[in-house]
Amino acid sequence: MKKELIELKVNGRSHELAIEPSALLLDVLRGDLELTGSKRGCDESSCGACTVLVDGAAMMSCTLLAASCQEREITTIEGVSEHGSLAAIQKAYGDWGGAQCGFCTPGFIMTVKSLLAENPDPSEADVRMALSSNLCRCTGYSQMYEAIRSAIAAEQHSALSSTGGSTGSAND
Amino acid sequence: MTDFSIIGKPTAMVDAAEKTTGAGKYTDDLRVPGMLVGKILHSPYPHARIKSIDTKRAEVLDGVIAVVVGKDAPNPYGILPVGHDEHALALDKVRYVGDNVACVVAISESIAEKALELIDVDYEVLPAYFDPEESLKAKTHLIHDNKPGNLEKDYHHAFGDPDKGFAEADHRAEARFIANEVTHAAMEPHSTLASFELDPHTGEMGRLTVWSSTQVPYYLQHKLSLVLEMPMSQIRVIKPLVGGGFGGKSEVIPLEIIVAVAARKAQAPVKITYTREEVFWAHRGRPRTIIDLKTGIKNDGRITAVKARVVQDGGAYCSYGVVTILYSGALLGALYDIPHIQYDGYRVLTNKPACGAMRGHGTVNVRFAFESQLDELAAKIGMDPAEIRQRNLLKPPCITVNGLRVQSYGLPECIEKTVERSAWKQRKGKLPRGRGLGIACSHYVSGAANSIIRSDMPHSTVNIKIDRDGGVVVYTGASEIGQGSDTMTAQVAAEVLGCSLARVRVIAADTDLTPIDIGSYSSRVTFMAGNATLRAAEDAKKRIAAAAAKKMNCATEDIVFRDDLLLKKGSVVPPAKNDKSEEAEVTQGGASGSGRVEGQILRGSLQQKRKEEGPKEWMTFEEAVVAAIDFHGALTGTGSYAPPQEARGGKHKGGGVGPSPAYSYSAQVAEVSVDEETGEVTVHKVWAAHDCGRALNPVAVEGQIIGSVWMGMGQALTEEMIWKDGMLMNAGMLEYRSPSSVESPEVEPIIVESIDPEGPFGAKECSEGSLAATIPAIANAIYDAVGVRLHESPFTPERVLAALRAKRNAKNLNMTGGIDPTAPARLREHGGSLCFQNKGPERHALDPARSKNSLSSAGAD
Amino acid sequence: MSLPQFRLLRPRALNEAIDSLATHEGNVRVLSGGTDLIPSMRQKLFEPEYVLDLHGVTELRGIRPQSDSAVEIGALTTLSAIEKSSYLRRHFSVLTEAAATVASPVLRNMGTIGGNICLDTRCLWYNQSLTWRKGCGYCIKKDGDLCHVAPGGTKCWAAFSADTPPALLCLNAQIEIVGPNGTRRIPLKEFYTGDGEKYRTLLPTELVTRVFLPRESADYHGVYRKLRVRGSIDYPLAGVAVVMKHSNGQVEDARIAMTAVNPAPILVQRAGEMLIGKVIDDALAEAAGDIAARTAKPLTTSALTPEYRREMIRVFTKRAVLAAASN
Repeated sequence: MKKELIELKVNGRSHELAIEPSALLLDVLRGDLELTGSKRGCDESSCGACTVLVDGAAMMSCTLLAASCQEREITTIEGVSEHGSLAAIQKAYGDWGGAQCGFCTPGFIMTVKSLLAENPDPSEADVRMALSSNLCRCTGYSQMYEAIRSAIAAEQHSALSSTGGSTGSAND
Repeated sequence: MTDFSIIGKPTAMVDAAEKTTGAGKYTDDLRVPGMLVGKILHSPYPHARIKSIDTKRAEVLDGVIAVVVGKDAPNPYGILPVGHDEHALALDKVRYVGDNVACVVAISESIAEKALELIDVDYEVLPAYFDPEESLKAKTHLIHDNKPGNLEKDYHHAFGDPDKGFAEADHRAEARFIANEVTHAAMEPHSTLASFELDPHTGEMGRLTVWSSTQVPYYLQHKLSLVLEMPMSQIRVIKPLVGGGFGGKSEVIPLEIIVAVAARKAQAPVKITYTREEVFWAHRGRPRTIIDLKTGIKNDGRITAVKARVVQDGGAYCSYGVVTILYSGALLGALYDIPHIQYDGYRVLTNKPACGAMRGHGTVNVRFAFESQLDELAAKIGMDPAEIRQRNLLKPPCITVNGLRVQSYGLPECIEKTVERSAWKQRKGKLPRGRGLGIACSHYVSGAANSIIRSDMPHSTVNIKIDRDGGVVVYTGASEIGQGSDTMTAQVAAEVLGCSLARVRVIAADTDLTPIDIGSYSSRVTFMAGNATLRAAEDAKKRIAAAAAKKMNCATEDIVFRDDLLLKKGSVVPPAKNDKSEEAEVTQGGASGSGRVEGQILRGSLQQKRKEEGPKEWMTFEEAVVAAIDFHGALTGTGSYAPPQEARGGKHKGGGVGPSPAYSYSAQVAEVSVDEETGEVTVHKVWAAHDCGRALNPVAVEGQIIGSVWMGMGQALTEEMIWKDGMLMNAGMLEYRSPSSVESPEVEPIIVESIDPEGPFGAKECSEGSLAATIPAIANAIYDAVGVRLHESPFTPERVLAALRAKRNAKNLNMTGGIDPTAPARLREHGGSLCFQNKGPERHALDPARSKNSLSSAGAD
Repeated sequence: MSLPQFRLLRPRALNEAIDSLATHEGNVRVLSGGTDLIPSMRQKLFEPEYVLDLHGVTELRGIRPQSDSAVEIGALTTLSAIEKSSYLRRHFSVLTEAAATVASPVLRNMGTIGGNICLDTRCLWYNQSLTWRKGCGYCIKKDGDLCHVAPGGTKCWAAFSADTPPALLCLNAQIEIVGPNGTRRIPLKEFYTGDGEKYRTLLPTELVTRVFLPRESADYHGVYRKLRVRGSIDYPLAGVAVVMKHSNGQVEDARIAMTAVNPAPILVQRAGEMLIGKVIDDALAEAAGDIAARTAKPLTTSALTPEYRREMIRVFTKRAVLAAASN
């Protein structure tokens, strides 16, 4: 099939790409853009390892046509680290054992990102339900809950110290 | 020495950031210039002779570079030396639906897939065997010609005097248990990339580099050498990040061989990544196991004898099968004190994908049966199920009746702790109807004392290189597969050398760079590679100490390595450590490994200054390293580990499997509720105590305990491979039901530290042993909740409901197609597929089931 | 597994979409959320020449309450949007409850109500890769001439396995269908044929565009119960929706529908009717369950045995009736 030219906006950058109309977003991210953080774990839209944000909503990039994603903002795991340092959720996943083999981790982090964007202070049940889009075979999910709680606390703390600058420094 | 600075502290994995940012590379993330894609053609038949393969139409398709078939690499291989029954691609026969027939190399995946459709294979379909007990009766059309009765291997062991033991018993229980087949389903599908270099001297294809999702680079290198007829020295195997293994990547998987053969024929780099369906066909999971178990006890709860007949449905190839069937018997010992054991084990071939090693290799299914039966016997004599376990403890150090040496033994404490934390005594038997508690125990090896390839080679070897920059590089063949192997290695090296973790860089699992290690399986890495690392670090430390002792004017044994400093014994903190002097900053600069040029120069001048100062009270780690290099000329350390002779087990046939230098112990309490109308089981919480010797990294140990319990819960409740006439009905993550977060329970890990005398800092395994206790703990909790005993796993709602109805003598809805494990031939035929009671119509014109007297599908209704 | 190659059509308006369907009649598959179509295309269940991506047809997106508490839902409205709509939750809770059980949260961000209504019927002998299906000799629904679950028959028994249609049937939903000859509006129950192969009455040139929930169905107590092995991801193995309205302690109106146990979602008319004018108690709920169970025809199209799934229709119906009566 003849390739078509599309424009894809990924992690804030626009890319002009020649792709087959049947190309899946996951394959374009991993192949054409070499953003291999999103993983392929299954072939039937079940495992969530390929989860990315499309206009802020978590979606499975293995189930989207790349050409359908034009004019939409795509965020992948590579777009999560901020200013050259780990985002709170990434740091917390490392500290609390939320990642073992790490293959499912990018997908989980994207799912958590979208959860926290919508609901900054989720209940335990909210977290459990949100994570149920993604499968993990290593952790039994438990340590992820601790990581997420700790990331929320870290975010709240940094939000406090950035808004209340003077009181923050008084604590040092 | 209990005052550690690195080990024992919760430590983020050294590769955590690679994983959480997506920057880390797994095999499928790799690309090399000119790389092509390989796709494998699989057999549609469970058992057939290949009369001919015509690849011409595929070869001429535009974009196809090569088509590979069996005769391109006819040498047999297999993971066990006794089981060389596999070929890269089928030579003359296919033995399961999914067996490997041909491989297309093309410029794109879609072209390769199209080309597969253009390969014409002429098959003669043969009768197939799906049930092990039927398979054993086979006289003709054997799966492998050299295996009469399709029997891969059988063992018959008697330790002590089993008949006498049963005669002494006051109570006996006897039952059949079935544990259906489960698979690893690691999140990363297997992937391998192979690339040949052109040899500058011959101008021909020379060295081969293979990147693969493997748990054991060394075995892959070895088998590639056999099949490709290349010396091992010409093959380099590199393990990138691996997305989970659980045993599924512990042996050489067909694609790993196929891709190398394909790269040779295509004369270009080739990558193959399995589809999820292919992962299920590659399998090597836990076999469906039929266990006829008999246990005798005295009135006081003491076990007098155990007798087990175990039949494993091994699939079409040997794989690790001989080891699995031996583990199933051997690990009846070393948990409790059992004076008499009889074991009859049969590993049987069937026309399904080969089973192999899976987390808790060999022990899990038999443990389910044993712990269930023990619970039943406790009920019979009115004894608390926790107590009956306490009545049967070993008294280590000891050697069990079947020749297993037990030294450290944290089981008593594990039982105590789980009983306490779960409020067992207050709550057991007092929960509302439908809710219950169950207890079970398990254990596992910390690596096998005998390697599968018999030799005097150490099981692990580690090299350490320390350079003038103070950076410590550890070279180990141990494979990080998500369990924390690299982190453990760095921790052990840093602890011994008294340096910060940030100084240590681990180079692992690259056969060109790292010394031989027999890899990550049977929970051997912490114990064996950990010990080798410890020894290598001690070796390097000795050299540093020798040089430093001269500078510090003291004996080597008076030097303490700690916090990136060398101190004289008794002295506390160097003065420089407290004021903000240049030295302190330099130390920190070194510790963070910045390696800036200015830092180097500054360090150099300071070192020069301090050199001239005469004898020192303390030295920085870097100063000491420089002194050692100046003194010795090079600073390296090597260490290796081989299990001691005393730990290698009895002399009986098959006695080499089961022995380990140390065993881990687990006790678990599960709390469940059962919906009596639907049969649905909910696990609310599991308290899991695990004796890991010493927790080198508590956060990782807890992660391994939770993960094991969780995977055990999956096998207990939802996971099962469902077969129909050799077709795997649920070859995907949608239908093979690995639990989601919603139904996954809270697991409370409880670390018990028995401090093993031979483990590195006393450590033992922590990644597998917990799994086996979970299944019976849940089964026993179901019994406590509703009074039914499940004899077949997984405890799906229909099985639970059928058991409940049978108990109430309610109308039998035949919901499970004859779940009673003592009854149905039909059940066995389909390998646990309770969903498919009705045999479908004949599928193919060639299907031998069409002839009435056919062997296949016997017993279908 | 790669997708078969196709050309992609990306209309910006409904009439453009309808034109494209007419132009390429029979050679085009409609893509909305993609959560069923994309995996099916990987398995080569569909190899269309064209794929019509509806994403740009924004007019079909959104929940539009009407003045009289009836509501119109665009076919491209995502299941997440339905699940989270406070308006629907207030007036048509059975739908939000059913929507919230579909697959997983991320898949609900993608999947649409129109896609859920049109979901292809499912069977373990059908939803498999091309290689797998070749191994089993294909089946009547695709490329073959026999049915593996009902041997000897000529009918396809693939199970209709979507969660929202039973809720919609209970609500007497109507759907709008647009084709080259204009717009028609039919009760949802007329959309399904009961045949697993040709499971819906939609013509290849037509699109389901809107769902209407009538005012008369608003404010019923609604309950949806789903049999699944996992708490997420899974398709229903059996599902029961119940709506009920009371007056003076008696049931004024009640409807019961089920899914995943027949080739179509089914309104179990008799089970609902027998509750009317009565006070719900265990025996009555059980009797309704019996009728539903007798109407169910589960076969070996999915995990768990047919007998068990039928039994669960009985239990779930009873429970849903009791729950609807008490809330």
